[in-house]
Amino acid sequence: MPARSDDVLLACNDIAVGYDDKPVLEHVDLEIHRGEIVTLLGGSGCGKSTLLRAITGLLPPRSGTVTLLGEDLYATNDDGRRLLLRRTGMAFQQDALFSAITIIDNVALPLRELTKLPESLICEMARIKLALVGLSGLEHRLPASLSGGQRKRAALARASILDPEIIFADEPSAGLDPIVAAELDETLRRFRDVLGVTVVVVTHELASIRAIADRAIMFGSGKVMAVGTVAELEGSHDEGVYNFFHARAS
Amino acid sequence: MPVAVTQVDRASRTANVALRGDLVIPTAQATYGQLRGLARRRDLRGVVLDFSDAGRVDTSGVAVVSLVKRQMARAGKKLELANLGDTHRAAFELIEHAKADADANADRDAEPVGLVERIGIAALDYSQAAHDLVALIRDIAIQAWFVVRRKRSLPKGAFADQIARMGTDALPIVSLLGALLGTTLAFQGVVLLHRFGAGQYVADMIGLSMIREFGPMMTAIIVTGRTGAAIAAELGTMRVGSEIDALEAMGVSPTRFLLLPRLAALTFVQPALSLISMFVGIAGGMLVTALVIHVPPAVFWDRIVERCDIMDFVHGLGKSVLFAWIIGLAGSHLGMRTTADATSVGAATTRTVVVSVFFIIMVDAVIATISSLGGS
Repeated sequence: MPARSDDVLLACNDIAVGYDDKPVLEHVDLEIHRGEIVTLLGGSGCGKSTLLRAITGLLPPRSGTVTLLGEDLYATNDDGRRLLLRRTGMAFQQDALFSAITIIDNVALPLRELTKLPESLICEMARIKLALVGLSGLEHRLPASLSGGQRKRAALARASILDPEIIFADEPSAGLDPIVAAELDETLRRFRDVLGVTVVVVTHELASIRAIADRAIMFGSGKVMAVGTVAELEGSHDEGVYNFFHARAS
Repeated sequence: MPVAVTQVDRASRTANVALRGDLVIPTAQATYGQLRGLARRRDLRGVVLDFSDAGRVDTSGVAVVSLVKRQMARAGKKLELANLGDTHRAAFELIEHAKADADANADRDAEPVGLVERIGIAALDYSQAAHDLVALIRDIAIQAWFVVRRKRSLPKGAFADQIARMGTDALPIVSLLGALLGTTLAFQGVVLLHRFGAGQYVADMIGLSMIREFGPMMTAIIVTGRTGAAIAAELGTMRVGSEIDALEAMGVSPTRFLLLPRLAALTFVQPALSLISMFVGIAGGMLVTALVIHVPPAVFWDRIVERCDIMDFVHGLGKSVLFAWIIGLAGSHLGMRTTADATSVGAATTRTVVVSVFFIIMVDAVIATISSLGGS
């Protein structure tokens, strides 16, 4: 069944992304629909994180348009873009937690900066989010005292604190042990199932892709190689897609 | 407004609150205010929240309910939820499930630290810092001994690189400030001494001041801000980025690899820069006395040669070596003690400057006192 146009939260229309004179991805067309979990996948250096920077307002595309929540992300002024981005959440690959403040202060920071909610409510919300990602009891620790997996979960709690309509996560389970990675996947699924959040995950972890993705978009050779459900991509006869899912060197 | 009519059942002393609209961040503050107001009413024993007409409930909505429920429980009152939709129920169940764990662990890390405990922690920290400093000096001495005995060597090119960065690059600023200091001293001397017909003695004053005190001291302060801070920042950033751990893991001594080239370079650079500062300062003073009170440069120079002997240079340059070690040790020690957060690098840099300047001035005062008592 075709998705209704108001269900499209994110649309890229023929965009090209890259750094300086070097294009990384070209002719990218994609749509993300409300309530789905989509993984952007591909080998290292294929441009999936660069694309994520473009669709989260951090790297203007070299050409094409990015429509986020119904508005052209790069046609609006800085204030308009910030307002738009407040309706999204981003969990960075390197967690990007502020090292000098505690975990609960990291998570509460967007609420303190962007809302006028009373402090008691802000702390309650931050505690709830930390509980959702399994970090209860670690609220007053500094990021440096947490493990890599715990920091990534704290980053996810911060990304979700404003109850965004769409969460972007850049390699959330990279470098984590399978149990912690599975817990993170489960957390992302909970966000979608219970809070109705749309989730876009950049990853090349096959276990994670199989566990959470409703749809996957695969990149390679500077373009979109394949789009479909995980089952469709796993059954693809395209050499690049087949090699990725069956872990074979081309 | 998310909260609609509130009806109070006087028999059971319960308020029935019909929620309407979304319980989301933009409405959370108003909802919280209204529910807290009800929770505080003395004539009520309970509140029932009716979700029949409620829309979307996000984390802020759940937090409002959770917070008010806890506040009411503390007052011996009860908050009940009625007519929850499937999505409401799922949100509350999920979050309550997680919160059960959260409440059990709440604030277990946040026990307040008392004054005595804070003093104890600070004392232990200073004690550990002193211990680390002694260990660092010992390690530097051992590694330097290995290098002198040619059992180990400094990283290729590191010494020359540090000499260029600490010395050559600092030459313009040290020279400029030395010249300005010399001219300033000369103007002060000219005003005072020329009045008594002793203008030519300005040379004595400038020569001794620049060679014994101001040359080494001003150079040390410039090097502290420029090089000492850089040492602390470099080492601190390397500590945060686990580069120092990587050296340890490879079996390479960070002291020999990182600290010795810097300390060795400083030991040579600091006296050299001080010497340049001394002569440039004297030249600045010579220029002022020639232009203002017309003392010929040859007469000025003769006064300097007559008044200042080799021991004055030994005094000034010896101090500059001590200052170099103070700056190098402070930068190395505080940089290596950086912890893994961004602010600690800034703190290490600032402390390096403060500690270095303090000890430079203190050592200078001690040496000045001793040499004065000794008559040199």
